[in-house]
Amino acid sequence: MIALALATALMLGDYAPQKMAEEMLPPEQEARVQRLGEQFRCPICQGLSIAASSSPAARAELNTVRALVREGKTDQEIRDYFVSRYGEWALLSPKAEGVNWLVWLGPAFLLIGGGFTIARTLRGPKASTAAAKAPAAPPPAEEDEYLRRVREEADR
Amino acid sequence: MKSWLSIAALAAVTLMVVFYRAFQKDPGSLREVPFLLKGKPAPAFAVTDLQTGAPVTSEQLRGQPYVLNFWASWCGPCQVEHAAVEWGARTYGDRVRFFGVVYEDTQENAKRDLTRRAVSFPQLWDPKSRMAVDLATTGVPETYFIDASGIIMDKYVGPIDREALAYLVGRIAPPRAEARP
Amino acid sequence: MSSSSVGYGFVLGAVVCAAFGGVVGLTAGMLRRDAGFVWVRRAAYAFFACMLLANLTMVQALVRHDFSVTYVSHVGSRATPLLFTVVSLWSALEGSILFWGIILGAYVLAFTLIHRKDQPQAMSLSIGTMLLVATFFSFLIAGPANPFGTTSPVPDDGPGPNPLLQNHILMIIHPPMLYCGYVGMTVPFGVAVGALLRGEIGESWMAPLRKWTLIAWGFLSVGIVLGSWWAYAVLGWGGYWAWDPVENASFLPWLTATAFIHSTMVQERKRALRAWTMTLALATFLLTMLGTFMTRSGIFNSVHSFTESDIGPTFLVFIGITLFGSLALLAIRGPVLAAQEGLQSPLSREASILLNNLLFVAITFTVLLGTLWPTVNDALRNEKVSVGEPYFNSMAVPIALVVLFLMGAGPALPWGASEPKAVLRQLGIPALVGALVVAICAASGLRGALPLATFGLAGFSLSVTLRELFLPARVRMLEKKESPLVAVVRSAQRARRRFGGYVVHIGIIAVFAGVAASSSYKQHVTGTLRAGETDKPLTLGGYSMTLKRIEEGTEPHRTFVATHLVVTSPSGAVEEIAPRLNFYERSTDPIATPAVRSRLHEDLYVSLLAVSEKGDAASFNVWIFPLVAWIWGSLPFIVAGALIAAWPSRRKAAEAHAGAVALPAGEGPPGGAAQGAA
Repeated sequence: MIALALATALMLGDYAPQKMAEEMLPPEQEARVQRLGEQFRCPICQGLSIAASSSPAARAELNTVRALVREGKTDQEIRDYFVSRYGEWALLSPKAEGVNWLVWLGPAFLLIGGGFTIARTLRGPKASTAAAKAPAAPPPAEEDEYLRRVREEADR
Repeated sequence: MKSWLSIAALAAVTLMVVFYRAFQKDPGSLREVPFLLKGKPAPAFAVTDLQTGAPVTSEQLRGQPYVLNFWASWCGPCQVEHAAVEWGARTYGDRVRFFGVVYEDTQENAKRDLTRRAVSFPQLWDPKSRMAVDLATTGVPETYFIDASGIIMDKYVGPIDREALAYLVGRIAPPRAEARP
Repeated sequence: MSSSSVGYGFVLGAVVCAAFGGVVGLTAGMLRRDAGFVWVRRAAYAFFACMLLANLTMVQALVRHDFSVTYVSHVGSRATPLLFTVVSLWSALEGSILFWGIILGAYVLAFTLIHRKDQPQAMSLSIGTMLLVATFFSFLIAGPANPFGTTSPVPDDGPGPNPLLQNHILMIIHPPMLYCGYVGMTVPFGVAVGALLRGEIGESWMAPLRKWTLIAWGFLSVGIVLGSWWAYAVLGWGGYWAWDPVENASFLPWLTATAFIHSTMVQERKRALRAWTMTLALATFLLTMLGTFMTRSGIFNSVHSFTESDIGPTFLVFIGITLFGSLALLAIRGPVLAAQEGLQSPLSREASILLNNLLFVAITFTVLLGTLWPTVNDALRNEKVSVGEPYFNSMAVPIALVVLFLMGAGPALPWGASEPKAVLRQLGIPALVGALVVAICAASGLRGALPLATFGLAGFSLSVTLRELFLPARVRMLEKKESPLVAVVRSAQRARRRFGGYVVHIGIIAVFAGVAASSSYKQHVTGTLRAGETDKPLTLGGYSMTLKRIEEGTEPHRTFVATHLVVTSPSGAVEEIAPRLNFYERSTDPIATPAVRSRLHEDLYVSLLAVSEKGDAASFNVWIFPLVAWIWGSLPFIVAGALIAAWPSRRKAAEAHAGAVALPAGEGPPGGAAQGAA
């Protein structure tokens, strides 16, 4: 309960109206800072990235990203810097390793499985019955086919 | 149909187990941000004293236990804990060094805040929050307990009270042994 | 008598009415007796009346600042303006569930009134199911989420509602829309469960199922778009969608409901996909429940989530029962749900809809998995991981682009088999339009594969959509010599759902374009301005801003700092905007209200970050978002399209009624359907 109250207090307290805007890096480096910032989770605002949030904690972390970029650190080194402090929690997209593969590949499995099922439905035994082969209406002249269909559909 | 229904049923059972387990957890732990530096050496820092401008580095502090209290003038909960931290500095100042660290603030505002209360320990100025992020803060107030060998023994998140402060100071600087037969 | 006991009395009344109606409805329906229906109807009316009175009691207590009622003491405040006092009915957990109750009551009432002359046994089952859901919710209101507790001692004043909710007019419309969408899914769920319990799934069930889903879907769509607009206009971080658990919770049922609306077309034409369509109807309701659970149980971390509450475990039990009950029903009724007709060609409308359904389910699964993953990891492995925007974007965007392609390709395909050559001819011009769009964008300096692909596909789909919309009208103009307007209106009347559907598609294509442009080509700068310094402006993308003055002021429920900026736009037009920070009496943090200069082609978005202590300088976050207004611009299309598609038509009603009588013998048990004419 106390921890919760504290968390709430922290959320309410964390705003620094006094702090003014930061100096930015040259455009190319700054773009990299923003891109990296979008990958790290702001500790206070929970769902947002440190690039999206304007809370002091996010600003502090983004400034550190700036400093690390200025020092010439690679993207991987900067990621490791945050993971070594806040754990995997800091990464907004989970590392593709261990059980986390499930999050990345689960939807792919679903698409493959579903695609297979659809293919089977479309080519299934029912599809080759005689009824399916006989079209309901005789094929009209090719030019009018589209108009005929639109008309038929619109009349329903 | 049958096969995917059983897959769905399996997923549903898993989901129920997950939610059931989630309810058994302490709700406060949900918002807790992991802190991986506990028990690890404190990252090196080099900042200045807010009042005197003199440099203060982690290297200078090696060999003695110290407490770092991150705070800001705009932070409501910080105002609540100042008295407890000041009490700690006065009570344990002989065994442990206390430092305040100004977090995401302007020097003017921090100094003005300090004139409003009695503070007996030095305040550090961390202009770009590099020290704060190196130490893996998540906001203010947060209080770090670092032992003589430079290991972060604990971090306290939120306004600290006397009891917690006394206990955590005890972990980095055991009370001097009384003479025993 | 105190408001608390009066209100609580009504809630208890609602529990009794709902439980009675639910039990009678299901019993009468399963025993195939007609007699119970009159009692089910009465229970439905009484449930509505109780919920209405309970809500009115709460509103009255709020307006009178009766702080002896617990809920009022939590969210009420004498300083809050009347409008926001009324709105605070749904600003916190207990009130929001009470409000949920009245919406559910209204839906059940409307459904009962409209279908009171339909087949009584079937309707007993459907309304009975809805009333059982209502029993659960009124039980929540009476027990774990009771807003009508009494406080003692009675406080003089309260803290007022969450300041975020008082900051913008959109907060008044957005939650009710979303709730109407969420709660509305109870009706199709009731109809679907009724059909499955009865074991007959014919057109007489499908018509109400489709219509009520469409209504709820319309509300949900509007709610989601308004919610993102609100986030954009109020939260000040320049975004509108953060893949937050609460946002995802509203998106999930929207996805399955959209898939459902499409799959019913196949079911209608081809009498196939029945089991699948039913699954989608049930899944949609389950996802609304899961979403509500995620928002309110306290085990999900979210900016929007309501605080801790005791309703979680109760909710979990309800979700469990519903989930396993639904699975069991589908398993038992599997044989009835088997397809009667096969699907043939991979190059047909039905194949494109199957693919559409697969993609929608894949997005649903991705969003669900991503939202639950941190909770799953924490619960089973004690590991804290995050799943956020980068994951969702990288997973959902490619699938969404295929959906956008299908939105163009699908409508150009005929039902049944088709000649590949004819299809290519139909798609020729739209493909050309798409290519042209890409070429123009690339020539004007736009870069990036994803946004260019999105614009190209949007051009392609839009041209197909427009042709499908207006070709029937052109045919009428040519053949029946009607004037353009008459021809459009008549062709729309002849095929409402088709016409409405395409109107909605236009809106969705606009959303695609707006999302792609605003996220790919946004520009951002942070800067500090001194008041009165006109020679050092802040510039971004042709705009230049200077700070005229900083004003502090007081309004009844808040104080504010407003910064008056003079903006010179690229066209040379000069205007003043005023981003501000609002300070609410009982909240320590200021709430920023950004200033947005919105135009069709781009928004200038200025958020006030900080004002110096001396009051002579201020710093700002400035963004330019191209086409972002197109996202909310989709609203008229979505609303109009949904209205056109869902508008009651005499012809359809008569057909549905006739369908109930003329049900083929194989469709239902003997005797069951024939009474439909009564």
